[in-house]
Amino acid sequence: MPRLNFWTVVMILTWLMLFVLLFIPVGSVLTASFYDQQGNVTIANYLKFLSEPRFHQAFFNTLVVGFGGLFGALLLGSIMAFCVSRFVIRGGKFVSLLAILALVSPPFIGAYSWIVLFGAGGVVRGFLRDMGINMPPIYGVGGILIVFSLKFYPYVYLMVSGALSNVNRSLEEAAEGLGLTPWQRTMKISFPMVFPALTAGGLLALIQAIADFGTPRLLGRGYNVLATEAFTLYSAEVGSNMSMATTISVVLILVSMVFVMLQRYVSRRNVYHGNMINKPIRIQLKGWRNVLAHFAVYFIGLCGALPVIISVIYSFRKTSGPVFQDGFALQSYERILFGLGDVVRNSLTFSMAAVALIVIVGTVVGVLVARRTNFNTALLDGAFMVPYVMPGIVIGIAFIAAFNTGPIVLTGTATIIILSIFIRRLPYTVRTTASSLRQISPSMEEAAISLGYSPFQAFLRITVPLIVPGIIAGGMLSFVTAINELSSSLVLYVGSTMTMPVRIYLLILDGDFGVAAALSTILLLLSGCAVYIAFRFMGRNEQALL
Amino acid sequence: MTRIALQALRKEYAGQVAILDLTLEIADGEFFTLLGPSGCGKTTLLRMIAGFNSIEAGTISFDGTVINDRPASERNIGMVFQNYALFPQMTAAKNVGFGLQTRKIARAEAERRVAEALESVRMGHLKDRLPGQMSGGQQQRVALARALVIQPALLLMDEPLSNLDAKLRVEMRDTIRQAQRDAGITTVYVTHDQEEAMAVSDRIAVMNLGVVQQVGTPAEIYRRPANRFVAEFIGKTNLLERDLVRQDGRALIDLGNGQIIDVTDMINPSASGRVQVSVRPEAVKAASTGLAAEVVDETFLGSHSQVRAQLVSGDIVEFLEFSQRSVLWQRGEKVFLHVDTNLLTFFDAASGMSIMAGAAV
Ligand SMILES: Nc1ncnc2c1ncn2[C@@H]1O[C@H](COP(=O)(O)OP(=O)(O)OP(=O)(O)O)[C@@H](O)[C@H]1O
Ligand SMILES: [Mg+2]
Repeated sequence: MPRLNFWTVVMILTWLMLFVLLFIPVGSVLTASFYDQQGNVTIANYLKFLSEPRFHQAFFNTLVVGFGGLFGALLLGSIMAFCVSRFVIRGGKFVSLLAILALVSPPFIGAYSWIVLFGAGGVVRGFLRDMGINMPPIYGVGGILIVFSLKFYPYVYLMVSGALSNVNRSLEEAAEGLGLTPWQRTMKISFPMVFPALTAGGLLALIQAIADFGTPRLLGRGYNVLATEAFTLYSAEVGSNMSMATTISVVLILVSMVFVMLQRYVSRRNVYHGNMINKPIRIQLKGWRNVLAHFAVYFIGLCGALPVIISVIYSFRKTSGPVFQDGFALQSYERILFGLGDVVRNSLTFSMAAVALIVIVGTVVGVLVARRTNFNTALLDGAFMVPYVMPGIVIGIAFIAAFNTGPIVLTGTATIIILSIFIRRLPYTVRTTASSLRQISPSMEEAAISLGYSPFQAFLRITVPLIVPGIIAGGMLSFVTAINELSSSLVLYVGSTMTMPVRIYLLILDGDFGVAAALSTILLLLSGCAVYIAFRFMGRNEQALL
Repeated sequence: MTRIALQALRKEYAGQVAILDLTLEIADGEFFTLLGPSGCGKTTLLRMIAGFNSIEAGTISFDGTVINDRPASERNIGMVFQNYALFPQMTAAKNVGFGLQTRKIARAEAERRVAEALESVRMGHLKDRLPGQMSGGQQQRVALARALVIQPALLLMDEPLSNLDAKLRVEMRDTIRQAQRDAGITTVYVTHDQEEAMAVSDRIAVMNLGVVQQVGTPAEIYRRPANRFVAEFIGKTNLLERDLVRQDGRALIDLGNGQIIDVTDMINPSASGRVQVSVRPEAVKAASTGLAAEVVDETFLGSHSQVRAQLVSGDIVEFLEFSQRSVLWQRGEKVFLHVDTNLLTFFDAASGMSIMAGAAV
């Protein structure tokens, strides 16, 4: 049975990989948190965390932005998903594009663009003030929540609209036949079916919100969260405190882990086989309902895409040094061309390498998890939750802790950045592959086997074509996240391995917004290309992209 | 082209027994039907033969060779799945041709066979449709063509006609029967439609709760059901519970108002006590003498009517009325029923097992 051997080897390699890239780094973080600066074993770090009001505040603030972001994303995302998948919306494709734009917009640019519009000297705020309307600047927790909601709603939207369009039409029709009202039908039939997608999308938003430290940094104005604390402690040039940074990292991991467990718990019983044949149809709304649905969808979509629009416009503004002048020019792009070419090249090569690894390893492991169900794979599935709950900052700190000294030294190399992206993104590919495999009724492969194909051939000829669109889509999404990845690279980069997001972050801190916007626009263009390629390659299957 | 022997076969789902120590022989070229109520284990057994279900105990052999461990792909089967299992990304023609690709059949020849197979299931005009654009019955017919076109040694069909209308169903079952006869393909056919089973099968196995109740030709199963379950599941029957009395070496049953029948030669010599008399509707005729009854209702069915009448004992007896009387039976009308003793079967009231002479006790 060579097949069995193949999967055994895959299993062993997977565990080995997890061990080196995950357990050792996480273990290092954990142990580091139990040492003080002088190298003595202690729990003083945790006691300090528990006793210092500054950390209490950070902990509380993290929960606030996490749940705030979650609810904002859930609200916006499900409204949009429901409208787009159930009603005829003019330009529905354009709306999806707006959501994708929001999703792929480079980090920090979201926060920065909102400052441009609604900050202390914001354009819109200034305009409103001229009209006599005084509104507070967007800084603080309110601003963070607005940005998070608009930045993370696409997760919910894409997950839920995918699930909604997979609900078997006859189920709803059957419910209609039983005399349920549309509202009851939605709550009793559709809602339970999309519930897993809803919680999964919400979880993504929550975890991202907890992990994000750029937005609180730029918009928060002193509003500290755990991620910013960890980074500050790690990167402070004077008094860098690695052991306290790792302690906060551990807390951050625990918080994320609790939420993942919670999500798993609430959606544990909801496993449905999707349906690829009897898809639901969209209703044409009439009158004010139609107007309302369109307004909601376009309002959310445009607000979410606003940062992108702003940064594109600002990238073409004339500058003098870091200061904007009236009129348009290509100065910012010229400065990139003549000074930042290697940063662009780094970003491209790192992301492509990471994506190649992710697609290959993720697909094979996804198949393993979905099809070879046993104790081992269940454990594996669990182990893949770990990178899922690791904020980028923490992965960065963990990789430094693990690969700075010892048998494998990787700090300062390109490899460490590629691997950090790889391990963070891998669980998504594993999961999407596994779940799309679980969606396909096994009797299809059995039919092929009954026709004389070996199980492996049957898998290759029947199942793979059905999941390839998903894999490509996943790969493209991974590319987008890889090239936009900031928080772990920020910890891991050295001068020669600087990437575009890192550069953008530094530029914004330096106040050089023109170049930052131009660099963001390039980043956006690259991300856009990835998305476009995915669409072209998959042809008609648009929904499968995300 | 395959002789199948199942020996003490057992299947469990997480400790729940689905097939219990089942032993069966299916002859080469036979059209063999598994018949039974929903959930009795038909699909489970079929999938074991196909090689898709694990086997907890016992053996399956093809032509005398145990094939428990032979992969499904090497069993040379054509299978029609209960849920069709068409490949969603392929057109009808591609679906049907898929099995031919791996058999190294020349392109032209393959195309011809695909066209022929689709034509035989009346799907030639929809050969370029994707499964998502077909009705349930159309998908089912493509699935049928896909299984037939590879001319397998063994054809396994799980309710292949369940989604077709009555007329198409009869047509398709003739198609299946024809293809099966022409090529002499051993066929295991699953259905819960007993009329369909009777029409196509060489032999039928009636199953209940994972256990085979009886195996036999349609006529045997209908005329000599092994137990009450089979008698009730196959065709219609009226069950009258009576006393079996032994008198002067004769075995007598009093059906009611003096109609005593002598069943000495029909039943086991050892049988006695409470028995159930199975009276098929066609064994009963309205006559001028016999069991006194009162008509309950009549259902007109075209060529004949179903009449239900209540005996003095309270039992309801259903019978068929073929004479094209111009007036229907009226409720409450008095009638005498003549029972053809030769068509009766008898079961032990307690165990439900047949007590007919020669029946296994
Ligand atoms: N995968 C499974 N896991 C657990 N129990 C199962 C599984 N498949 C079938 N069963 C159970 O085994 C029994 C037999 O099921 P099977 O599908 O063989 O019935 P069937 O005779 O084909 O019924 P139907 O006519 O409704 O198709 C049922 O009680 C069913 O619930
Ligand atoms: Mg079945």
